[in-house]
Amino acid sequence: MIAHYLLYIDPGSGSYLVQVIIAAVLGVAFYFKTIWLRIKMFFGGRKKEQPGNQEGHD
Amino acid sequence: MTDTKQHPASFRDPAGFIFEHAGKFYRQVNQVYAPHFELFKKSGLYETLASQKKILSHTELDSNFTATGDWYKTLLPEQLQVISYPYEWCFSQWKDAALLTLELVKTSMDHGMILKDATPFNIQFVNGAPVFIDTLSFEEYDASKPWIAYRQFIECFVGPLLLARHHLQAMLKLFQIYPDGIPLPVISKLLPFKAVFNFNVFLHIRLPQLMGSPQNTAAKKQPVFTRQKLTNIISNLHSFVLSLRLPPVTTTWNNYYEETILSTAYAEARMAIVESWLKETNAQTVTDLGTNTGLYAKAAAAAGKFTIAVDADTACIDKLYNECRQQNIHNLLPLCIDITNPSPAIGWNNEERPAFFQRVQADLVLALALVHHLAIGKNIGLQQIASAFSQLSPNLVVEFVPKNDPKVQLLLSARPDIFTQYNESFFEEAFKQYYMISKKTTVPGTERIMYLMKRK
Repeated sequence: MIAHYLLYIDPGSGSYLVQVIIAAVLGVAFYFKTIWLRIKMFFGGRKKEQPGNQEGHD
Repeated sequence: MTDTKQHPASFRDPAGFIFEHAGKFYRQVNQVYAPHFELFKKSGLYETLASQKKILSHTELDSNFTATGDWYKTLLPEQLQVISYPYEWCFSQWKDAALLTLELVKTSMDHGMILKDATPFNIQFVNGAPVFIDTLSFEEYDASKPWIAYRQFIECFVGPLLLARHHLQAMLKLFQIYPDGIPLPVISKLLPFKAVFNFNVFLHIRLPQLMGSPQNTAAKKQPVFTRQKLTNIISNLHSFVLSLRLPPVTTTWNNYYEETILSTAYAEARMAIVESWLKETNAQTVTDLGTNTGLYAKAAAAAGKFTIAVDADTACIDKLYNECRQQNIHNLLPLCIDITNPSPAIGWNNEERPAFFQRVQADLVLALALVHHLAIGKNIGLQQIASAFSQLSPNLVVEFVPKNDPKVQLLLSARPDIFTQYNESFFEEAFKQYYMISKKTTVPGTERIMYLMKRK
């Protein structure tokens, strides 16, 4: 049985902390991705992706 | 004023509501939403989105039709030809709707606004593409706060897409039971164990679960959020949704015309009949029942008719939708509908989302090679079939497949033949109770008979 927990709480506030953490995780992932891309570039990898262009959906 | 009727699905948002007046649908903007509405215009957001055809365009009117005290503006939106609901969409339609929602968030943020909700009910398919229809869903963006509709987005878009991706497209119908979004615990429970090894599934589905119920995670003192953080989350969700794909499937129907021996000559002969009758009836709108790969629905669309193509086979509908997008077919809407169990009326008072039969009307119904599946495959009486079809449109093009046809024999091969009343004369008798037969012709090279009928 799944409780209907949303009834007593503003739906947005429940996801506040979750989004804070997700943003932090994405920040860390992004940080390592940048380092990884630098390492690849250092070893002569092609400059494929700009770290600032994380969206990649155009 | 008494000649306006508030739409039964438009009552949740105090910002305004939809009402019907003199055969048209209008949207009232209430005083409380005025500052957001002005910002929506002043920031250029409305113009940007309307010109990109991402939201429904409207004309502003200064008449207070409803004569309510908190009236601010009346909008006359572009009128919709048909309303479809998410539980009638295929995977790709749902995915496009999700991507549209995220693009709206991004564009809104660029204009100092944000989407305050993320439900697929705010999206309709217009001219072959998803369009956001709720003009009052945009509010001023406070960069120190995260996205209020984040969880709703996960439960309404990401969850259903993941369930379809990992199980079956049919899982999307769960939305009929959970129209506010499939609760995270349910999504989590239904996903296979291996799904969690995906970084994004872990992040958006499992992590919130691990953190406990929203009561626990509703921080009393909320840390400050930033625009960059939200941009990162939206971008991540966008690439996540974009990456979701269905595994390839082969169903009974999705290669029907490509594989079956009935193919070329038969399909061409039948096509010629359908095309000439479509011209003759002068129908502007067509509903193709049991559309399969959409061969005839596409022909109707090519003849300039607004066509709704329905089938119970979700793989067929997904394929057809993708074809329409690729070939820029704008006047064909494919929907996952099982005609033996069409979408019921759901929501508050059973009035929020009307049933398929009450909602979708056309000038002409195409029912090709369908009746034998209903009559013999599902034991539905011929008269019941005629009655149901007659509720959908005044004109009908229907095909009768006789018992000696190989396809009917196939249906009968695994069951006793209890269908003593399945023949041409019983068929005509049943349909004559609701229709007049205007034309009748045998498809050359077969014993299948095509009828053009007009409702009495």
